[in-house]
Amino acid sequence: MAEVRLVDIEKKYGSFLAVPQQSLTIEDGEFLVLLGPSGCGKTTTMRMIAGLEDITAGDIQIAGERVNDKPPKDRDIAMVFQNYGLYPHMTVRQNIEYPLKLRKVNKAERARRVQDTADKVELGTLLDRRPSELSGGQRQRVALARAIVRTPKIFLMDEPLSNLDAKLRVTMRAELKHLHHELGVTTVYVTHDQMEAMTLADRVAVMREGRIVQLDTPKRIYSDPADLFVAGFIGSPSMNLIDGAVQDGRFIAEGMDLPVSLPDRDEVVFGIRPEDLELADGDTPIKGRLYALELTGESTLVTMRAGKTSVCARGHADFEAPINAPCHLAPKTGARFYLFDRATGQRLDG
Amino acid sequence: MNERTLSYALLVPAFVIVIATTIYPLAYSFVTSFREWDLTKQLRPSGFVGLQNYAHAATESGFQNSLWVTAIFVVTSVILTVVLAMSLALLLRRTGRLHTFTRIILILPFAMSPALIGVSYRFMFNPEFGVLAKGLGAVFPALEGTPWLANPDLAMAILVITDVWHWAPYMTFMCLGGLASVPRETEEAARIDGASNLRIVFGIILPQMKGVLLVTAVLKTIFALKMFDQVVTLTGGGPGTSTETMAFFIFNVGFEWFDMGYASALAWILTIITMVISAWYVRMLLSERKMATA
Repeated sequence: MAEVRLVDIEKKYGSFLAVPQQSLTIEDGEFLVLLGPSGCGKTTTMRMIAGLEDITAGDIQIAGERVNDKPPKDRDIAMVFQNYGLYPHMTVRQNIEYPLKLRKVNKAERARRVQDTADKVELGTLLDRRPSELSGGQRQRVALARAIVRTPKIFLMDEPLSNLDAKLRVTMRAELKHLHHELGVTTVYVTHDQMEAMTLADRVAVMREGRIVQLDTPKRIYSDPADLFVAGFIGSPSMNLIDGAVQDGRFIAEGMDLPVSLPDRDEVVFGIRPEDLELADGDTPIKGRLYALELTGESTLVTMRAGKTSVCARGHADFEAPINAPCHLAPKTGARFYLFDRATGQRLDG
Repeated sequence: MNERTLSYALLVPAFVIVIATTIYPLAYSFVTSFREWDLTKQLRPSGFVGLQNYAHAATESGFQNSLWVTAIFVVTSVILTVVLAMSLALLLRRTGRLHTFTRIILILPFAMSPALIGVSYRFMFNPEFGVLAKGLGAVFPALEGTPWLANPDLAMAILVITDVWHWAPYMTFMCLGGLASVPRETEEAARIDGASNLRIVFGIILPQMKGVLLVTAVLKTIFALKMFDQVVTLTGGGPGTSTETMAFFIFNVGFEWFDMGYASALAWILTIITMVISAWYVRMLLSERKMATA
């Protein structure tokens, strides 16, 4: 186990700045998720930690040791790839055994560790199969087994679940969480799936255009987003973001009129999560016509429209109403809402 | 005419051409291989002689020699071409201006006619004025004045070199195509697992390239078995008969000695050898595929 420190690291491809200068410390035993949309630099950051990409500037330290010039094999890391990265010409056993073989672990010890690891990820009976004879989930387990068999200091996982179907992804997510709890190894996990980030991480680093825009616990990222980008990226369904203006202490937009504590200004974005809204009767601050109803099982997503304004609320599963019927929404008691500057995305409400 | 009939009708010209230019000559040569036909005496084949032409091949020293020459040529040129092509592909698979430029100029040797290559190399290895002969002489004074093409071993070596020079670029492109299908992640996983560059090439990349390398080898083998043009223009089969390949020898039997019956039998022996080797390769390829997709 070890702490990972990125000190003022930067990555350029020619004149293109992929990751601008930034620092990040991943605590010993922590599960840190790098989250962001495609092309935000999260995989590049991970590959720099792995040593698969050179860094243009800065330092990378693993367990207090500068590893900038060390090749990947000498950094004591293990990586799980998006497409598994299994050796197709080797059996499951040979795949898991490979890193041990390269490190000249004796045969008996190799056999024992391979069997132990395979049992841990429930692959014990599949050791003599080739990757092509396995399902996606089983292949992912082989990749995990190959990573954990030599007990590295750091685990790096690059979107390891993105090739699995939705159901399997949920199962594997729980298994990853359990595995991390059991092994306690410092883990850096890259994903664009905010649900994965929220469920797995001790801390999430939300990235945009190569920069970490917020580094915090999942709970705080959800309840206290740093800016408009994070607010819109985290949450499913995502936060309602409504364009409007503040006049005389009220946020005004088509179909909306809410009291806010902010001086008058234009170009304001009002944010509120669907679960913080409720359907109400009479003179509510949010009014429009029912646009769509989506039953998710435990609740119904109610989308209301008023001109350009579109607002989604999480309603009771039994809620039913005709499309285009008048729709009234109100923030629940104690609901949180957020105000952002349209141009800069900065939080205005503190 | 319905669509089905029309589609068959449209195929007829192609069938006619293939039958006239390939099937008929093949069948004719097969029949001829069992007959006596001395072109200096008669315009058409005469009586059947059974397996006499084939039996003659089994004992005739000229053919035995060409068989041996071809075997040496095929083994060396196939191994050298595949090894060189794979090595070049590994060097050229990166993207970048230099790599792209090198890939483009690599096409040139393959674009040249084999006959022309033979003529060019004959001039280049001329001990009096050949640029390669002179250049080698300048670097290694002991080689000054070496009669390159007059020495049987050197002539064979130069024949192999010209063939490798001609085919390696094309085979490099085949290997580059194969390399593109090897997932980069397996290589990176191996680097993280602790494999050296050499181990990555031999332990991770090459096993995944088996299929492509087999196809490359089978194609090169077929082309090498048919080696003719460069022999004619570079060595003329010499010195003596040291570079007389099967195709060259069969040509001589048919069009120098005018023994068409014997030439047909030899041509069929070459065809059967080619088919057997190809079938062996295909079998290996299929078992490889079966293992990869099992």
